[in-house]
Amino acid sequence: MSLKKFSELFGDLDSINSTNNKIEVLKNYFLSNDPIDNSWAIYLLTGKSNKRFISGRYLKNLFSQIYEYPQWLIDTCYLKVGDSAEVITLLLKNKTNSRKKKLSNISLNELLSETIPALSKLNEEEKNLEIKNLWEKLPEDNHLIFNKILTGTFRVGVSIGLITKSISKLINIDEEIISHRLMGDFKPSIDSYEFLINKNINLQELNSKPFPFLLANTFEDKIFKNSINDFQFEWKYDGIRMQLIKRSGNVSLWTRGQELVNKSFPELVEKMSHIKDDFVLDGELLVWNFKEQIAVEFSLLQKRINRKSPTRSIQIKYPIIFIAYDLLEINGRDIREIKLENRRIELEKYFSKWQIKTENNISDIFKICDLIFPKDWPDALTYKEKSRENNTEGLIIKKKTSIYSSGRKKGIWWKYKVDPMQLDAVLIYAKGGSGRRAGLYTDYSFALWKDKELIKFASAYSGLTNIEIKELDKWIRKNTIEKFGPVRSLKPEMVFEISFEKIHISKRHKSGIAVRFPRITKWRKDKKINDADSLENAYELMKKI
Amino acid sequence: MRTNKDYLIRYKDGNLYCELADTWIDPSRPVKKALITHAHFDHFTFGCEEYISTKETAILLKERVGDNIKIKTFEYGEEFKINGINISFHPSGHILGSSQIRFIFAEEKWLISGDFKLQKDQTCKQYEIVKTDYLISECTFGLPIFKWDESNKIANDISQWITNSPEKTSLLFCYSLGKAQRLLNEISQTNFKGNIYSHGSIHKMNNSYRELGIDIKDTIKIENKKKIDELKGSLILLPPSLSKGSYLKNFKNIQTAFASGWMSIRALRKRSGYDKGFAISDHADWDGILEVVKKSEAKNVFFHHGDSEALSKYLVEKESINVLLFGK
Repeated sequence: MSLKKFSELFGDLDSINSTNNKIEVLKNYFLSNDPIDNSWAIYLLTGKSNKRFISGRYLKNLFSQIYEYPQWLIDTCYLKVGDSAEVITLLLKNKTNSRKKKLSNISLNELLSETIPALSKLNEEEKNLEIKNLWEKLPEDNHLIFNKILTGTFRVGVSIGLITKSISKLINIDEEIISHRLMGDFKPSIDSYEFLINKNINLQELNSKPFPFLLANTFEDKIFKNSINDFQFEWKYDGIRMQLIKRSGNVSLWTRGQELVNKSFPELVEKMSHIKDDFVLDGELLVWNFKEQIAVEFSLLQKRINRKSPTRSIQIKYPIIFIAYDLLEINGRDIREIKLENRRIELEKYFSKWQIKTENNISDIFKICDLIFPKDWPDALTYKEKSRENNTEGLIIKKKTSIYSSGRKKGIWWKYKVDPMQLDAVLIYAKGGSGRRAGLYTDYSFALWKDKELIKFASAYSGLTNIEIKELDKWIRKNTIEKFGPVRSLKPEMVFEISFEKIHISKRHKSGIAVRFPRITKWRKDKKINDADSLENAYELMKKI
Repeated sequence: MRTNKDYLIRYKDGNLYCELADTWIDPSRPVKKALITHAHFDHFTFGCEEYISTKETAILLKERVGDNIKIKTFEYGEEFKINGINISFHPSGHILGSSQIRFIFAEEKWLISGDFKLQKDQTCKQYEIVKTDYLISECTFGLPIFKWDESNKIANDISQWITNSPEKTSLLFCYSLGKAQRLLNEISQTNFKGNIYSHGSIHKMNNSYRELGIDIKDTIKIENKKKIDELKGSLILLPPSLSKGSYLKNFKNIQTAFASGWMSIRALRKRSGYDKGFAISDHADWDGILEVVKKSEAKNVFFHHGDSEALSKYLVEKESINVLLFGK
């Protein structure tokens, strides 16, 4: 019933690797704490909203000021630890007076709904004093959680799925229902927790919530053994996955990250509200090139996404489209249990009805995805290779008999992405990692040749094995030319194969290009830096598209 | 100004060397005369012509190198001379037999801290404050984020970790010499009353400790083909080298933990691959290093073993202590 218990839960979850044990620990936690604290626990564990009350930098400055610690020393410690909240927790050890621990039993609710929000009403001086005061009153074991909540960095190895499973076990109700109840906003309160653990299922209850999304797996070669006729083929768009919902006349747009984004796309909400039927559609939101009937590149979509309330001129400059690929509910009837091929028939049927019967023209903002009909698997591969021409990432392959379940369900939907583009580049900078990779150099920058000069073209931090990371870290420390804070410039010597999905012109970068999803796919120890690619080679790739 | 060469003790080929005595301290390659601070593998090497250490270190060393080495031993505090230089061993509190080494020549005192800790440890002699002019100190944990808990608190955490999962076999990885015996000693004073097994390498060291008069709880030597049921709810001590690879396949339904000072950092704990980490160390923490530097009254300090940049800067800025750099 307290922050103390929640700190213990955090410690347990942090040191248990087995999923079943984690579920068990969560279940017991929910059983032994009161609804309001459980509600806050779920709020924190699912990372529904990590509101930042103060920044990590602020926390470090504050500590430095109160305890007269040199700032550089705290920064050095940070490089080792990789998390501001944890650094300060470690430094606070034995610093606070243990006799004044008045808050050893503060409830999670009191802390999160009163104590911490109250901080933002104080002026800076009062705020600093109050944080110091809280550090002194809270038991040392609770400092980490407290600091993490303050800095909005509370994260633990628990997924929404795990919370779903433990609640489902707790009350013996299907995971799907719990998962659905957890979709969308979650406001911590006794009501929200009791709604979650309610054993009676009321169909109306989920009216405002999107369905749990069904996700595609990575393509596996064994699928080639099946008949091509068993599958539905679609282009894999590189937009924002969304559910477009109209229930009881109200339209809502939910992203896969469970954010309600009506305000960002008002023209879509407006147009769709003219449709007479109620429905839930699953699809993709894109910025559309209506002349060529293809999606524009993702960087332009980003310009639109970043606008929380776009002006009329932005709406015209970056026209959006919603491409539906599935119909999940129609006029209150949940049809997720129907086979995909039949849902497709329904989708097409309703789409043509809406096109004719809706007063305003909807087809300039809403369409259903075109299907592709490859003759055989080699033909499917040809389609896949052509996907860059229409700014898609490859194919989505769906079993025609698949029902719409939730999560990354195996064996029904696959994404079959076009092979990445690749360049061999030279490692020129390294930066210390954070979080789990603290204390190691794990963020790398790579360069390509331009005449006799190496020009930075991409940064990447994923793709190496742990063993390679350690090896490279050692090499980096021995081959540093200069240090600038956490960044080191390095002797140009190591060549890596960098893979990426897209390449386009960018004025912001010195290299004049930007790539999407760069990652390391091979440590080319066999190559010397003169074998690395040049910017010319990068421009060539661009022309090919 | 003095150059490195003028110092009584300096770095030569990456090792500490006293030229006037033609003696090396914890050398990493075979030499004529080697002073050994303690019997951890990274502090001695095979094949030296003559070793000099405390009595306890000598016995542990022989256990590891073999009986046929030439080794001279001295009591703590007993002064001996090499080429006119007065040398003595003093307890460093790291493991059984571990020592600091003091050199006196021409009224100038030098102290090599060896690996040391200030925390209480019933399996070895408590660190002794030795005054010196020059201090050569280790700084493995030379950042203020390192602050050790009392070892009985850690032992209670370990005890609870085992008893909370009675259906599991708890594997605790720790260095076989020193850490293992300290843990055994501490754990035997907790509420955990189940069976404790230890790996052969640890078992051997337990016996050596006992022969040297240290009371170490009896453990069962772990055999490869133990019945799984017998191991349920018990504790097994293993050296860290066995944590990766096929050895773990000998056990079913296990939980693993590593006992090391590094485990106080979450990122390192996560990266280590163990389920749990217990932050207990036989090295000094930040406060410990500062205390030793101050109480030794050294005017000049050198650091080795560890990243000393921050610690040096701190001592220079905050304590006005002269920190020197070794030319390696």
